[in-house]
Amino acid sequence: MGNKSSLMLQEQDIRDIQAETGFLPSQIERLYSRFTSLDKGDSGTLSREDFLRIPELAINPLGDRIVHAFFKESEDDHVNFRQFVRVLAHFRPIKKAQDNKLNAREEKLRFAFKMYDLDDDERISREELLAVLHMMVGENISDDQLNSIAERTILEADRDGDQMISFEEFCSALERTDVEQKMSIKFLK
Amino acid sequence: MELSLLNMLWSPVEEAAAFLNSLEVWEAVRPFVLWGQLMVFVCFLLVATIGRRLKLRRKYVELLDGVFNFAAFKLADDTDEEEEEDEAATSSDEEVVICPESPRAVPASHEGSFRFEDPLPYLAAGMRAVVSDCVTKSFTSAELRTWNMLSRTKRQRYLRKSPSLTVFWAVGFVLRWVFLMPVRVLLLVISLTTLIVLCAAVGLLPSSAFKRRLNKRVVMWCFDFVAGSLSIVARFHNPENRPTHGIAVANHTSPIDSMVLATDQCFDMVGQKTRGLLGLFMGALSRSSYHIWFERSESKERSKVIQVIQEHAQDPEKPPILIFPEGICLNNTAVVQFKKGAFEVDSDIYPIAIRFDLRYGDPYWYQNTFTGYVFSMMTSWAIVCDVWYLPPTRRGPNESAAAFASRVKSQIAHRGGFVQLAWDGFVKFGQQSEAWQRKRGEWRQRQQDAFARRLSSNEAEERKRE
Repeated sequence: MGNKSSLMLQEQDIRDIQAETGFLPSQIERLYSRFTSLDKGDSGTLSREDFLRIPELAINPLGDRIVHAFFKESEDDHVNFRQFVRVLAHFRPIKKAQDNKLNAREEKLRFAFKMYDLDDDERISREELLAVLHMMVGENISDDQLNSIAERTILEADRDGDQMISFEEFCSALERTDVEQKMSIKFLK
Repeated sequence: MELSLLNMLWSPVEEAAAFLNSLEVWEAVRPFVLWGQLMVFVCFLLVATIGRRLKLRRKYVELLDGVFNFAAFKLADDTDEEEEEDEAATSSDEEVVICPESPRAVPASHEGSFRFEDPLPYLAAGMRAVVSDCVTKSFTSAELRTWNMLSRTKRQRYLRKSPSLTVFWAVGFVLRWVFLMPVRVLLLVISLTTLIVLCAAVGLLPSSAFKRRLNKRVVMWCFDFVAGSLSIVARFHNPENRPTHGIAVANHTSPIDSMVLATDQCFDMVGQKTRGLLGLFMGALSRSSYHIWFERSESKERSKVIQVIQEHAQDPEKPPILIFPEGICLNNTAVVQFKKGAFEVDSDIYPIAIRFDLRYGDPYWYQNTFTGYVFSMMTSWAIVCDVWYLPPTRRGPNESAAAFASRVKSQIAHRGGFVQLAWDGFVKFGQQSEAWQRKRGEWRQRQQDAFARRLSSNEAEERKRE
């Protein structure tokens, strides 16, 4: 809150971000306000602690992966506002008339794929799937059971038999899922 | 203490006066400003001391209401253009709820075991939390739907929209800073001095029923005077439920909550010892009645304090104790978990809901310093609130203190129209503390349990089919 936030975001920046992400100026201002309120150290960037300070995110089973998604683009373990908005732009609802690079269905799917594919080799291995499963269920299901669940999931989606899921196989596995709705959140103006 | 405060306020005033004297326009305007200030001072003094009877404060609030409606009307035709399209884009039927007390996973799909899309709702929930989460929102100054010409944000955009609004805003600015604020500061000083002197005087009397009655009258009138200097306009509903003994619990928004409640009924307060202006205040109050002050850092103090509260609450001669079980101030849109300490005591509990009308002024302390906070309140239009007295209640025979606390919390939330949050107030700070790490682990585990349960039920179905 406060005048500081609106002063530091220039008109030109807002226009650039609007062109890149498709957010409206009022949405961008609101996101900037949120960014500065998360930035407790007033440094103009966010660190991992700043994200994990959000209680709802800290107790989300996928919390660490979500935070990681923001830091993938940055080199120095700090997220600036442009990177912040660019990641959030993937979750903008898809509007009929608008053609935007960042929130199209394929981009959303790629974002989800990257959440699984930790080592960035364009393939989801069984270990990577197991890691995500483990985050989701904690200690509630035994390792053996988890293993068989993971194997079954990969078997169903694997088409070329390499025991790993490529991006194409991932997309076809999610063909019938309403990704547009599941990966969209509401951005207030 | 007040002398140093006066000095602090007077030197910039002197400088400002010297500067203004050098401008010629000031010569012309000065008599008006000074007369205006004098008139406002007299008005406020009247309002603060006897205005309660004359309902003067309410008239002032109604006047402001008219102005705000005008502003809203002016702004409305502009923002409608941006509304249009897309409200149905994100439905929340199948939403994962990241709530510490009762997590919900998406209902089981019939397709079988783990699918790649299963974590997606958690991903979306996490992103939603990054954009806006209910906890952080409750600890920042609440957002208003219409502009009340005070607001420090979005001002540039509103001012650009319509020239008549800009004029109103400028007039309002001058009114608030030149007329209202200095008068209020002066009145505050006078009223605080009166409070301290009178309380000390009553404190000199020997203990008796007469002293108690006198104390009640004196304290209530003094608080009313102080409240008048801040232009606090309070409306009390259901006076038949007004607490007469036992423990009163209320939701906490600001340091002035106790003052608002004290204008209608004399309470004994429980609070942490502080220094400075507030400390002086607390010391003064202590002379005439049995307030309970403690040091939060002392761990042994907790059980001792509960003991003292118990004895006080069960004494029918003593005034009711006022407790804020949330333990932390919020922005008056939500209530967080009530701490069960006050609810362990075996006595009548009177729930009270306090709702501020934030259009006129925000009492929530979000500024960095206390003086910043006081100035922000002094330059608001008024602090308007509604207070509801709810019927007294007691802990049931098989009810735990935590369940009782929860029940009272829902009553208050329901009456005041607040969002109920299951979070404990301490998530605001202490993120590095062990308690938080432990709690966080527990809550995360509950989310995992909910998901695993859903996954296992799917598994059982799969196996049945095979």
